[in-house]
Amino acid sequence: MDDAARADTFYAHVSGGGKVEPDDWMPDDYRAAVLKFVEMHANSELMGVLPEREWILRAPTLRRKLALTSKVQDEVGHAQLLYRVAEDLGKSREQMLQDLIAGKTKFHNVFHYPTRSWADVGIIAWLVDAAAIVSQQALRDSSYAPYARTMKKICWEESVHIMHGRDVVLTLMNGTDAQRASVQDALDRWWGPLMQMHGPPTNPETDRDLIWKIKAKGNEQLRQEFLSIYVPRIRELGLVIPDPALAYDDEAGRWAYTEPDWDELRSVVTGHGPKSQERLEFRRDARATTQWVRDAIIGPVGTAAA
Amino acid sequence: MSDLDTQTRDALAELLLAMADDEFVLGFWDSEWTGIAPILEEDVAMSSVSQDEIGHAKALYELLAGLTGDDADKIAFGRPAEAYRHAALMNHARTDWAFSIARRFLYEHADAVRLESLAASSYEPLADLAVKMRREETYHLLHFDLWLRRLAEGGEESHSRLRGAIEALWPDAQAVFAPLAGEARLVAARILPESLEALRARWLERVTERLQAVGLAVPPTAGSPEADGRTRRTDEFAWLHGEFTMVSGSEADATW
Repeated sequence: MDDAARADTFYAHVSGGGKVEPDDWMPDDYRAAVLKFVEMHANSELMGVLPEREWILRAPTLRRKLALTSKVQDEVGHAQLLYRVAEDLGKSREQMLQDLIAGKTKFHNVFHYPTRSWADVGIIAWLVDAAAIVSQQALRDSSYAPYARTMKKICWEESVHIMHGRDVVLTLMNGTDAQRASVQDALDRWWGPLMQMHGPPTNPETDRDLIWKIKAKGNEQLRQEFLSIYVPRIRELGLVIPDPALAYDDEAGRWAYTEPDWDELRSVVTGHGPKSQERLEFRRDARATTQWVRDAIIGPVGTAAA
Repeated sequence: MSDLDTQTRDALAELLLAMADDEFVLGFWDSEWTGIAPILEEDVAMSSVSQDEIGHAKALYELLAGLTGDDADKIAFGRPAEAYRHAALMNHARTDWAFSIARRFLYEHADAVRLESLAASSYEPLADLAVKMRREETYHLLHFDLWLRRLAEGGEESHSRLRGAIEALWPDAQAVFAPLAGEARLVAARILPESLEALRARWLERVTERLQAVGLAVPPTAGSPEADGRTRRTDEFAWLHGEFTMVSGSEADATW
């Protein structure tokens, strides 16, 4: 069989729900697409550490301190697992980290924004993680089997984060006027990025990630699922979602909402978000100041597998 | 041992507060590595360790709160900076990786010696807790002994950073065993089965042996730790205190 015929057979296999293992033959296009997808996910877990990390020192009770440190630790652990999945596809972790801090590869839009208050920590853990878990649950069916398996573990931990986040938010909503106001303020600021998070609707006929079942659901479907589960839960706490157009359309069977600002999304994920450069600089700096440690234990980069 | 007289109870409270503050403050400093440690695997491990310390601090503050009728979070977050009683070893920021490793190495062995002794405490709740804490601390000891060796044998820069950190921290490390006002009373009641000076001698022996094994010189020790070993504070700690009370102190009597 020549490569073109092999590729046809391969794509018929994945489109039909078949799985791919790292040692299986796969077309270069598929390999590159999975790598790009997983690498961005890994980058997002690693960069997603920073908005919350800033508040680890400020967690207001012993219990919150434990929960927050544990959550951030999980994110680092997820990054580690995902970089390992990506590495098997042919790019070293070291190269991925260098590309990330050089701004050559992307990470999710929500991690480009500032964390202004303790209420933000609650909203991030509850709703950003909720929006993430909706897509991650779908990724448990990914055609790339190691990614699907990793997602199973990650989803379980994310569900713990959501409980922590909701508990932070609930406690604040049951607190003083100022505490309640801080949650509303956080929701007002995070709603836009949350609506953009799953990306603009794509054409299912041309979205290769979807056709090859690297991801199992389209962007709009994920956003709709997120809204269906979380809009009632947000309102139940007495919070007002800052979109007057948001309503469930019974006839269409879907949520209607104000068109998210897709220009903002494009601008943010290409490194022009309010905190993009500062966070990349922070990570560059952390890499540089700990380089001597990596040199000490694994030898200078280039002389050993990093 | 519910029939503690007031003075013995005060002495016990002083011991518990000292230990809890050690774990709490060190747990906070090292949690700063979460997300930015030199390698991802170590990032996860260091986070675990600092969570263990906060967990131990929580258990100790709760024991103390039960004794004094106070609240654990209030003790942990509700005091002015000068009321903390951690050893001077915990007065410093995490600095670089060598500094953090050197401090953990010195502290873990001090804590191990302290917990081994307290496992035989006549105050049962403390003895039980010491046994529980030792289980986790055993892993910490192995982990940081390994890091000490890695850095000591990791080439010139690594070795010299580590040596500098050990030298800088050495005097303040003694302060983990700084005398407590009610110590004699605790020893007499066998709440503290041995004097802090006896514990320090054992610690000194252990860390000396390990430092020498990896080719690091043991800095000279200038006699017993100073009396202010648990009361002298630094600007670095004042900064940390400002951070960890920022939210909890932002609104009086709020629940978080």
